Amino acid sequence: MTKQKIKNPLRKRIPRELRGEWRKYLVVALFMILTVGFVSGMYVANGSMMTALSQSAEKNNLEDGHFVLKKRADNSLISEIENGEKADIKAFYTDKAKSELDEKFPDEFDVEFNEKFNAEFAEKFNTTFEEQLKSALLAQGLDENSVSAMLPAAIEQAKASGNYQTAYDSAYKDAYKSAYDEAYKTAYDEAWDKILDEIDEEYSDAEEKYELNDPDFRAVPVNIYENFFRNADEDNDLDGKTDGSVRVYAKTNEINTASVLDGRFPETENEVAIDRMHADNVGVKVGDKIKIDEKEFEITGLIAYVNYSTLHEKNTDFMFDAIKFNAAMVTSEGFESLSAPVHYGYAWKYETAPSDEKEEKKLSDNFMKALLTQTVVSDNEISDYLPIYANNAVNFAPDDLSSDETMGGTILNILIVIIAFIFAVTISNTITKESKTIGTLRASGYTRGELIRHYLATPVIVTLIAAAIGNILGYTVFKNAVVSMYYNSYSLPTYETVWNPTAFLKTTLVPFVIMFVVNLLVITQKLSHTPLEFLRCNLKKNKRKKAVRLPKWNFFSRFRMRVILQNIPNYAILFFGVFFVSVMLALAVGMTDTLSHYKSSAKDLMFADYQYVLNSYEDEEGNVIETSDGSAEKFALTSLQRKGKNMDEDISVYGISENSDYVNIGGLDDLGENEVYISDSFAEKYNVKVGGTVTLEEKYENQKYEFKVAGTYDKSLNISVFMPIEKFRGTFDFEDGEFTGYLSNTELSDISKDDIATVITEHDITKMCDQLDHSMGAMMKYFQILCIALSAVLVYLLTKIIIEKNENAISMTKILGYENGEISRLYLLSTSIMFVISDIIAVFLGKIIIKFVWSAMMADYSGWIVFTASPLGYVKMFLFVLISYLVVLCFDFRRIKKIPLNVALKNAE
Amino acid sequence: MSEQEKKFLEIVDLEKSFGCGETKQDVLRGMNFSVAKGEFCVLLGPSGSGKSTLLNIIGGIDGADSGYISINGDKLEELGEKKLTQYRRKHLGYVFQQYNLIGNLNVKENIEVGAYLSDNPLDIDELLNTLGLYKHRHKLPNQLSGGQQQRVSIGRAIVKNPDILLCDEPTGALDYATSKEILKLIEEINQKYKNTIIMVTHNEAIKDMADHVIKLRDGKVRKSIINTEKISAAELEW
Repeated sequence: MTKQKIKNPLRKRIPRELRGEWRKYLVVALFMILTVGFVSGMYVANGSMMTALSQSAEKNNLEDGHFVLKKRADNSLISEIENGEKADIKAFYTDKAKSELDEKFPDEFDVEFNEKFNAEFAEKFNTTFEEQLKSALLAQGLDENSVSAMLPAAIEQAKASGNYQTAYDSAYKDAYKSAYDEAYKTAYDEAWDKILDEIDEEYSDAEEKYELNDPDFRAVPVNIYENFFRNADEDNDLDGKTDGSVRVYAKTNEINTASVLDGRFPETENEVAIDRMHADNVGVKVGDKIKIDEKEFEITGLIAYVNYSTLHEKNTDFMFDAIKFNAAMVTSEGFESLSAPVHYGYAWKYETAPSDEKEEKKLSDNFMKALLTQTVVSDNEISDYLPIYANNAVNFAPDDLSSDETMGGTILNILIVIIAFIFAVTISNTITKESKTIGTLRASGYTRGELIRHYLATPVIVTLIAAAIGNILGYTVFKNAVVSMYYNSYSLPTYETVWNPTAFLKTTLVPFVIMFVVNLLVITQKLSHTPLEFLRCNLKKNKRKKAVRLPKWNFFSRFRMRVILQNIPNYAILFFGVFFVSVMLALAVGMTDTLSHYKSSAKDLMFADYQYVLNSYEDEEGNVIETSDGSAEKFALTSLQRKGKNMDEDISVYGISENSDYVNIGGLDDLGENEVYISDSFAEKYNVKVGGTVTLEEKYENQKYEFKVAGTYDKSLNISVFMPIEKFRGTFDFEDGEFTGYLSNTELSDISKDDIATVITEHDITKMCDQLDHSMGAMMKYFQILCIALSAVLVYLLTKIIIEKNENAISMTKILGYENGEISRLYLLSTSIMFVISDIIAVFLGKIIIKFVWSAMMADYSGWIVFTASPLGYVKMFLFVLISYLVVLCFDFRRIKKIPLNVALKNAE
Repeated sequence: MSEQEKKFLEIVDLEKSFGCGETKQDVLRGMNFSVAKGEFCVLLGPSGSGKSTLLNIIGGIDGADSGYISINGDKLEELGEKKLTQYRRKHLGYVFQQYNLIGNLNVKENIEVGAYLSDNPLDIDELLNTLGLYKHRHKLPNQLSGGQQQRVSIGRAIVKNPDILLCDEPTGALDYATSKEILKLIEEINQKYKNTIIMVTHNEAIKDMADHVIKLRDGKVRKSIINTEKISAAELEW
C-alpha cells in the first residue's frame, strides 16, 4: 500500500507561533497594514486622479500653451501665427522704413532744397545778370571804367523796370526743375542707403536676439483660440472690502473648459461659476452672491478649470493660492459688463501633437521664435508666454501627486526594511533559543533549506496578510482619505477609482521582496552553523575571548554596561529606527517651524511695505508719474532667467536709487563694471560665492548677461540681483529717468490705479505660507502622531527582544533575590540610557538630513525658503520619541514582572 | 548473515583531535571496530573517552581527521554536505539526552517531524501505541514527564525506520524507573524494526542488554565484546 507523503509538520508551528506571539505580530501587522493601506490608498487615489486629470485634459480641450499680447491680434496676425512660420523681419523693417521715407522725405527734402537752392540761385543769378549787363554795356562801346561806374545804376534800373525780375523768373524756372530733379534723386538715394545700413545693423541685432537664422528651426503649425480674461477684485463676503483677486473668463466650449463639481455653468449676465477649491476655502457655495469688480454675481456652480488644477496666480509664484485667488467663469455678456482691463490671452494647440516632452519643448521653442517675429512685424508685443509643460497651474498637482507617490513608496520601503530587520532579529533570537532542536532536526536529516523556508514563513505570511488587508483598506478607507486630502489642496475634477496594478506591486510585491531578502540573508547566515554547533548552542561566530574591562564603577553601573555591550546589535537597530523616526519628525516639526519663521520674518525682510510696479513710468499724456510722498523711492525692475537643469528660475533684477533708504547696501553705488549684489537666498540656493559670476538670460530673447557677485544682501526673501538704477538703465536699455515703480512704507494714494500694474505687499510674500499651512498643516500634525506611533512600535518590538534575550538572566536574578524594581534598574535603565543617547543623536542627524532633503526639494521650486528648526522644535522632536518610549517602558516593566523564576532553572544546562 | 551485513558499520583508524598547539587534545586515537546490521551496540566509557565524538562522526554531524567510517560499504568522508544530510535523512535516527522537542507541536506532530523525512515511514498511530503515547498524542511537550518526552524523541527518531538509531545518553536525564522504561522501549524497537542501534552511555548495567559492547578509554577501543548471554531490559538492575 502506498502511503501518502506526510506534509511538513513544521508548518503547523506557524499558526501556533502567530497565536503564541499574537501581540507582537498584531502590532507589526497593524503597523504594516496602516502603512501599506495608506500608501496603497495614495497610489490608488493618485492613479485614479491622474487618469481623471488626463481624461479631463482631453475632454476639456486643455491648451498646449498660451501667450498674452499687449494688443488684440487681428485675423491676419492670427493666421500668420497659426502657420507657425517666422515673419520676414528684414522685409518688415525695409517696408516700414520705405513707407516712412516716402511719407516724410518729399516734404523734408522740399524745405531743405528750397532753402538751399533759393540761396544759391539768387547769388548765382545776380552774378550772371551783372556779367550779362556788363557785356551789353561794353558792346555799346563804353570802356571798362565807365561800365564799372555805370553798372550799379543799370542794375537798379533793370530791377525798377521789371526786366531783372522777368529774367530772374525765367532763369529760376529752368534751373529749379533740373536742379530739383537731380538733387531729389541723389538725396533720396543717399537717405535710403543710410536707412538700409541702419536696417542691416538692426537686423543683425534681431537675428541674434530672435535666432532668425537658426538652422534647426521648423515651422510649427498650430490652432489659436482666444482665451481672454480679466483680473478683477473679488469681495466674497459682500462687506465692501476686497478679499482677493479673481481671473474671469468668458464661457467657451473651445479651449480650456471646466468640469462642474456642483451646480451648473452660468447662463445669464449676473451668474458666475467659481473654482470649487477657492469656494471651499472662503466658505461660499452655490446660491451665494459675490462681487466681482463691484458687480454682484450669483454663484451657480463650483467648477474645476482644466488649466487651473492649482490656483497659481502667476506662474512664478512659489505656491498656489486658493484662498486669495480665484478662477471664475461668466457668460460673454457678464464678461463684457466688467470694467477691469482685458488681457488678450491666446491658447494654442499643435496641429500635430508632440510624441514626448523633448519634442514638446522643441516645438514650443520653435513656435515661440515664430510668434516673436510675427508680433514684432504686426507691431504687437508678447507680455506672457507659457507652454503647457512649464505651466505650474496645470503641472503642480500631477507633479505633487507623483512626488507624493515617490515619497510614500520610499517611506513604505524604509519602514518595511526596519520591520524586516526587527523580524530578522526576532527570528535570530528564536533560532538561538531553539538551537538544540534545530541541531536535532539537522542531525535527523532536515536540510538547511527546509529550516530556512520554515523560519522565513512567518515574516512572509505576516507581510502578505498585512499587504492584502492594507490593499483592501487602501482601495476603500485610505483612498477616500487621500482623495479628500487632495481635494482639500487642489482644484481637481471628479474621478472614478481605477484599478492600479503598480500600486499592488509596490505595496505587496516590493514589501514581500524586502521582507524575504532581509530575512533570507539573516536566517541563512544564522543557520549556516553545523548541526553540532546547534546542538552545543555554539552559535557565535566571533567568540569573545575576554570580557571588556570596565572602570571601577559600582556594581549596578558595571552590570548595566554589560547589558549594553551584550545588546549592541539590538541597540544599533533601535538607533536606526529612532533615527528614521527623527528624520520624519524633523520634516513634520521642521516644516511647521520653517513656514512660521518665514512668515514672521517676511515683514522684516521686505524692502518696503508697498512695492508699486507701474504699467509705464509715463502716463497716457507722456508725463512722468510722480508722487508727492517724499519717502517713496523710484526703483527699476526686470525679470531675467537663470537656466538650470531641472528648471529655469525667474530672477528679479533691481535697479536701486542712490543712497536708498529701502535697500540699504553699503557698496552698491561703488560697484565696478558688471558687478552686482545678490540676495542671500540666491547665494544659498545656487551656492554662489562672493567673487563668483552669475549668468542670467532674457526670457524671450537670445540675450545673456554675466554679472560678477560683489556681495550678498541679507534682507531679501526673493532670488534677486541688485545694482544702482543708473547702471540698470545702461544695462537694460532703459531711457534716462525711466523706472519701474516706487518703494514706499506708506500707501501711495496719488498714483492713478490705471497706472499701477501691481502692488507687492507682505501678503504676496506670506500667501504661500498660508496655503502650505492650509494644505499641509493638518497633515503634518497627523504625521507627527504617526511618527510617535511608529517610534512606540519600534521601541516596543526592540525592547521586547532585549528582554526576551535576557529572560534567563532576569529569572536568575529573581532567584537570587533581586526585586523587580532593581531588575528594571539593571535592564530597563541601560536600554533607557541607550534610547536617550540614540534619541539625542537621531534628532540632530535627522535635522541635518532633512535640511539636505529640503534643499533638494526647494531646488525644484521657484524661490527659496531656508529650513529653520527652532530650539523648541528640537525639544519637541526629542520629547515625541521619548514619550513613546515612556509608554513602552510601562509594558516592559510588566513584562519583567511576569518572567517566572523557573525559566532559568528549566533552561539550565 | 553476509560479510557485508556483519560489517554494516565499519570504523577504521579513526582519529580526531580538538584545538591546536599546546591546547591540542586527541579525542579519538585510531579507533577500529565494526557493527553488524540489526545489532544493538553499546559504547561505554568514562567522560572524555570520545564516545559522543564518535557518535557524532557516525551521525555525520562531525568529521574525522583521518581514518574513515563506512556504512553498508559507503564511506562517509567521501560525502559532501548535501549528501551527508541525505544520508542522515534516509539512514539515521538520533536520540539525545536532552529531548529537544518542538515546544509548540504536540506529541503526534513531533513524531511527524521525523516521519516527514522518510519515503516509507512507520505507521504513526501504531508507533504511538508502541511508545505508549497514544493517549497523550495531542499533548504538548511541556505537558509530559521527562520519560514521556524521551519516548517522543525516540518516536521521532524511529518513525522514519532508520537503518541506524544513534542514542546519546538517552537515559542520562531520567530516573531509574523511567530509564528502564526507555531501555525496554529501545529493546522492543530493535526487535520489532530490526534497526542497528548504537547507544552511548555511562551506565555499565546497560551493557547486559546489548548484542555488542565496545568499551572506550582515551580515544581508543579497549574492549569489543559480543554479548552471547544478553538479558532483557526488564531484567536490568543498577
